[in-house]
Amino acid sequence: MCVGLPARVVSVNDGTAIIDANGAKRDVRAELLDDLEPGDYVMVHAGVAIAKISSDDEEEGSEVLGLLAI
Amino acid sequence: MNEIIEKAREIITSYDGPKVRIMEVCGTHTHEIFRLGIRSLLPENIDLISGPGCPVCVTQVGFIDEALYLALEKNCLITTFGDLIKVPGTEMNLAKARAKGANIRPVYSPDDAVNLAIENPDKDVVFLSVGFETTTPSSCLAVKRAKELGLNNFSILVANKSMPNAYQKLKGSADAFLYPGHVNAITGNGVCKQLKEEGVSGVVAGFTATELMTALAVTIEMLKKGEPFFVNCYPRVVKDEGSVFAQKLMDEVMELCDTEWRGLGMIEKSGLKLRSEYSDFDSRIKYNMPHIEGKPNPGCRCGEVLQGHCKPSDCPLFGKVCTPLHAVGACMVSDEGACSAFYQYAQ
Ligand code: SF4
Repeated sequence: MCVGLPARVVSVNDGTAIIDANGAKRDVRAELLDDLEPGDYVMVHAGVAIAKISSDDEEEGSEVLGLLAI
Repeated sequence: MNEIIEKAREIITSYDGPKVRIMEVCGTHTHEIFRLGIRSLLPENIDLISGPGCPVCVTQVGFIDEALYLALEKNCLITTFGDLIKVPGTEMNLAKARAKGANIRPVYSPDDAVNLAIENPDKDVVFLSVGFETTTPSSCLAVKRAKELGLNNFSILVANKSMPNAYQKLKGSADAFLYPGHVNAITGNGVCKQLKEEGVSGVVAGFTATELMTALAVTIEMLKKGEPFFVNCYPRVVKDEGSVFAQKLMDEVMELCDTEWRGLGMIEKSGLKLRSEYSDFDSRIKYNMPHIEGKPNPGCRCGEVLQGHCKPSDCPLFGKVCTPLHAVGACMVSDEGACSAFYQYAQ
């Protein structure tokens, strides 16, 4: 029940959004996130978009491992 | 294999310092670490232990008994995340109750349960609300929607839990924690930074192979330095402040209460209940629930597994009497449970 689903936002409408997760489309609640736009990537839990995803995991990994050099 | 994973792997596999214990608090981390084969890479001096971060696993037996009471005595339509259906209550699980005629429906979200209540005005719909900060906002949104719609045939049986005070109980169980990324996406990093001030180390971890390997490599490097630390290794999703909207929403609809965790016992202010403004949607109040004390199977060692005191394979029932098809304890039921992950991947 806890597995997050990364998905692309297809459209946003008054607190709800249609998302596309690997080709499967569904409606989710989107009130938790400000300024959501089509094309954004979000993390979905139990039918609610809980966070925006701001980059891919490789970019993130190099940023995080880069911190170790300091 | 990408460059990041390669670099992280080198840090992890070349570790030759004293033995360290790293607790993956989150059940999804336990599962993914097994599935991706990361455990088999670890040298003997890195011990990964599974923590209590699967909401299904820490839900008390009495909660299942309460759900059975509503299903069998009050004739409610019980809606639930699928994982809960096979969790043993004192005498049976919800799947058995269904075979006896109880109306039990798995749903993907609490909102789907509200939809069922709208479509079935003649039925009393109850949603079994479990989960940490990641899932709690979805229950709060559903209750608010039911109130706005004036639904009088929808309520929730709440056993939601809050992580921050549980960390206090877990202090000392490990040298560092892998904090659950999606809990921090809601709560922010304040609690983890405070824990660092109290000498408790940890990193927030994401869920992909790159993210888990990075988080473990950072943990090892920081442990070598010997100072308490906190690093957000999942910044593409977790922001320092978390989701302010979700925090306000949870505070508006629910309030903290003392609650019992399977395995960890009673932890002050670590549970949630509906605020009095929403009491019409509280199944316990609506159905005048009697006090129900559940009795876990005395042979099950879930409690020790959840605190990292023993491995699932140390339980004498593991893989013999207790398997995912015939689970004796909750840790074997949920895909995110430690016993189920050990059974699927370590056999
Ligand atoms: S193997 Fe089964 S009985 Fe043993 S601790 Fe795990 S869930 Fe409980």
